This record gives sequence, C-alpha cells and structure tokens, in this order.
Amino acid sequence: MSDALLQASGVTIRFGGLTALTDFNLEVRKGDLQGLIGPNGAGKTTAFNVLTGVYLPTSGEVRVGGARINGQRPHRINRLGLARTFQNIRLFKEMTALDNVRVAIRSTSGWAASMLRSGGFLKEEAQLEARARELLEVMGLSHRADEDAKNLPYGEQRRLEIARALGTSPGVLLLDEPAAGMNTREKADLMVLIRELRARFELGILVIEHDMKLVMGICEKLTVLDHGETIAHGAPAAVRADAKVIEAYLGEAPAHG
Amino acid sequence: MKSFAPIAIAVAALALLQALTADSPYFTYLALLVGVNVVLAVSLNIVNGLTGQFSIGHAGFMAVGAYTSAFLSLWLHEYHVSALPESVGNQLFFVVSLLAGGGMAALFGFVVGLPSLRLKGDYLAIVTLGFGEIILVVVRNTPALGGALGLSGTPQHTTFFAVWFTVFLVVLFSRRLLASGHGRSLVAIREDEVAAEAMGVDTTGYKVRAFVISSFFAGVAGALFAHFQSIITPGDSFSFVKSMEVVVMVVAGGLGSTTGAVVAAMFLTLLPEGMRAVFQVVGGDNATLSQSIDQLRKPLFGLLLVVLMLTRPQGLFGTHELWDLFKKKRSVAP
Ligand SMILES: Nc1ncnc2c1ncn2[C@@H]1O[C@H](COP(=O)(O)OP(=O)(O)O)[C@@H](O)[C@H]1O
Ligand SMILES: [Mg+2]
Repeated sequence: MSDALLQASGVTIRFGGLTALTDFNLEVRKGDLQGLIGPNGAGKTTAFNVLTGVYLPTSGEVRVGGARINGQRPHRINRLGLARTFQNIRLFKEMTALDNVRVAIRSTSGWAASMLRSGGFLKEEAQLEARARELLEVMGLSHRADEDAKNLPYGEQRRLEIARALGTSPGVLLLDEPAAGMNTREKADLMVLIRELRARFELGILVIEHDMKLVMGICEKLTVLDHGETIAHGAPAAVRADAKVIEAYLGEAPAHG
Repeated sequence: MKSFAPIAIAVAALALLQALTADSPYFTYLALLVGVNVVLAVSLNIVNGLTGQFSIGHAGFMAVGAYTSAFLSLWLHEYHVSALPESVGNQLFFVVSLLAGGGMAALFGFVVGLPSLRLKGDYLAIVTLGFGEIILVVVRNTPALGGALGLSGTPQHTTFFAVWFTVFLVVLFSRRLLASGHGRSLVAIREDEVAAEAMGVDTTGYKVRAFVISSFFAGVAGALFAHFQSIITPGDSFSFVKSMEVVVMVVAGGLGSTTGAVVAAMFLTLLPEGMRAVFQVVGGDNATLSQSIDQLRKPLFGLLLVVLMLTRPQGLFGTHELWDLFKKKRSVAP
C-alpha cells in the first residue's frame, strides 16, 4: 500500500455506449497541488464523481486513505477524508453562509443531548460555530455569515463552496472549476488562495480548470484528459510541450461552456 | 437545567388554562380538535417542510396510533394498579397507551420509510399513499379492532392539558432540532441531497430518522384523538382526505415553518367551524336554507386555499418563524 491519500488505479466508467473515462490513474498525497485539465466533455467532472462515490466505476479501483471505496456511499467516502466542490454550484441556497459551513462540520452530539441542550451540546455548538466562522474568514466571507447562500454574488458562492468542503476537515480537496465565471483578477487571487489553503490545512489538492495557463502557474503536476483518455501526465512544462495536448487544445472549438 | 425552564412554564400555563376553561365543553372540544391537528401539521412539517420529502399518508400513522392506543386502553381498563389511587393509575395507563400509539406508528414509519427513502424520486409519496389505504382496509377487516363499525368505549382520558402539552413538545422539538446539527442535516437534504451527501451527511439515515420521528408524533396525535372520541371508525378521520388536509396545513403555513404550521392548522380547523356558525346565523331558523348554505363551506374553503397559493405560493410564513421576530442578530435558541 502506498501512502497516497487518494489513489485511482485503472478506473474506467461507461454510460451505455459512451466510455466517459478510460483507464484513469492518479495519486494525490499530502501537500500535492495537482491539476486535472482537458477540453470540455473530456471526463474531468466524471472523474471527480467516480472518486467521490457518486458513480460506481465500471472497472478499476479507488482508494481513499488506503481504504478501497468502490461502492461505498459518498458520505462515508467524505468522512474518510475526501471533500469536493461542484462545477455547477450546489450550495444549500436557503441556508445562511454560516450554516452551509456548519452542516459540513461533523457534530458528535446525540439526539438526546441536542434536544435537552446539555452542557456538552452547547459547548460543541459554540466550537462548531467558531470553526465555521474561521473558515468563512479564510475564504474572505466573514461579512456574509448571516446571509442566505443564494444571495451571495457568484464569485463568493464559489468561495463558499470551498469553505464548506473545508468544513469536513478533508485530507484531499477536489475543486471542480473553482474559478469558472470569475474575471481574470478574481481568478488570479483565487489561485493564490488555493496555494495558501494547501499550506494552512496541509491538504492535497486536485483542481479542475479549463484555463490551461492558470493551472500551469500553480500546479506541480498535471493530468490531461481528452475524450476520457489520459493523454499526458507530468510536470507542467513537459505537458505543455506534448504534441497530443497541443492538438487537443487547438482542435477544440473556441466557444465553450 | 435552563433547558427545562420552558417545560415548567408550559406545564403551569397549560394547567391554569385548563382550569379556566373547564366549564366550557364546546371550547374544550374545539381546542382538542385544533390541538390534534396542530400536532399532525407540525410533525408532518419535519418530513415535508424541513427535510423536503413528500409524504401524503400522515393520517395512516395517525390511525396506527389511534387503534394501538385504543386497543391497549380497552384492555388496560380492566386492570388497576393496586398501589395507586384509581385516577393516578388511569393517567399512568393513558400515558402508556399514548406512548404505545406513538411507538407503534414510529415502527410502521420505519418499515414504510426505510425502503422508500433509500431510493431517489417520489417513491415516498406513492408508498405513503398506499400505506394509508392499506391500514384502513386492514382495520375494516379486523374484528378485534371493531371492523368497519368502529371501536367504541375507549376511556375518555384526553384533556386539554394532554393535547396542548403534546403541541408544546412537538413545537419545542422542532425548534431545538433546527438549532442542532441534526436539524441542519435535514435542511441540507431538503436544499440539495447530493451536496449534503458529499458533505458527509448520511442522507438516507437522516431521512428515515425524520420520518420515524414524524410518524411517532402522528401516532400520539391519533392516540389523543382516540381518547376523546366516543368511537373511532376506519373512515373520514383517518382517510386520504385527512392526510391531504394535513399536507394543506403545512403548505399553507409555509413548508419548513413550524409556527406557520401551527397557525395554519389552527386557522384551517377553526375556519369550517366558524363558517358553520356564521351560516347558521345567516340561514336563521330555516333549516334547509342553512343546510344548503353550509354546503358552500367546502368550495369556499378550497377557493381560499387557491387564492392563498396564488398570492403567496411560499405559504403564509415561507420558511420563517414567528419567534424570529423577537430574535436578535446573533441567534440564541432556548
Ligand atoms: N450520468 C451520465 N450519463 C451519461 N453520460 C454522462 C454522465 N455524466 C457525464 N456524462 C458524459 O461524459 C462525458 C464527460 O463529461 P464531463 O465529465 O462532465 O466532462 P468535463 O467535466 O471534462 O467537461 C460527456 O460526454 C458527458 O455527456
Ligand atoms: Mg466538468
């Protein structure tokens, strides 16, 4: 067994006739900052969905913290130390930003303690709130704590998704296009922030980003997908020079969504 | 100990109210009807409002509670605890049969909820609908439960205090639930089940728990109901129409709002009664006239609901609570 926190070996998934991911291999360790890139429809989000247990791989194996997670439910996989954000933002819209994060932070109080509001329960609630506020602050959202998630501007919603994922105290964080829809400046700021998160929370981070230049700047290792196949894997400089990668990106229609 | 203060206050206030209204049987009867409906609405809100599932068989669980407790009471009636004065013994038996009614309904809730809540989609609605009908068919064909004719002779133990203390408990439960990690998990499921699961929430487990708790309170409501009706029959009181009535209360109050459910249940229970009184006055001594006006009640009632849903589709309160009005910025729950 390796010391990888997240490990995918030979993962393939088919939807009917479509093979969305073919023989996908990946290892994320503590302190890694890796990128998963590729044109639209390449299978990046599908890879996240397999890693987090939303989809069961047709073949291959996924391990989180050393434990094989094929077939386990997503909440169990999350508790093993794998958290994610969603490309198409999935916040708890009618809950405040603070509560969005609090949901993610595990509480150990039982039903009786919660209903009787015991001393232990109240203490844990206070700790939980402090932790949630701390995470909001890290993501620059302190001023939004009491606002409903649905009322936050787009860029802040994306940051709240990250704060919420951090609430589960993961070892590995998967970010699905965290900068999508942001302007150039916001994107650059976010990339700096992501690097800080890795150091502060001692995370392994795997980030999906459509914009190749952006990930090149911060990631130490890249995996490039095209039509579900891994066409390149390695250091950014080598990946950028790869003929298949250049072709995949040049061959892509300029408009994407 | 601070957490018990509201309970002590409620006990004192309800005991006082009961004493004050003791000589008004009509008021008491209405208060019992209203209270039972409030318990039903607030408990259904835990599933339909807070957790975002769609159950339409609440009356079925009410029936389970009613018949279980009535059956038990009729049996216990023949005994008495020799060490205790009879009235105390009766109260004890009453509490036992209420809990048995709730417990049996919770058990049925588990059996019905577990398979249907594991699946995504609207299975719960279909299954609860079927469950409500099956329960009635079973009762109709079970002589021990009185069959189609009904079960009569249940000791009339239900008091104003018993009903409204249950109201108090289910409201307090809902309120404290929302101020805990368990309640936040339920609301997260309502908001986005996939995201909740991804954030470590055992969505199936929580949906089932919410459903079991909701069924428990429906069972207690049924048990309370059974102990102030001279006879319970497998008919209107537990039918699909009754289930829909409760759904309407929750929706009209605002899905997810406990106080909304309380207000709507009170209003929608009293409105037909109030209309009846008004129509009797309008119709005067002319019995046929007042009867034919009385038939306007149901369409009028329906029209009112349509108007409410058109003008306020989120219900009276939306997801807000009356007590939010008094809350300071930093939330402090009881
Ligand atoms: N649940 C699904 N059923 C069928 N096809 C799917 C499903 N999820 C993804 N796909 C397909 O898999 C391919 C990869 O999609 P996706 O992983 O979302 O791409 P990316 O995130 O790289 O843009 C697409 O062709 C998409 O239509
Ligand atoms: Mg994608």
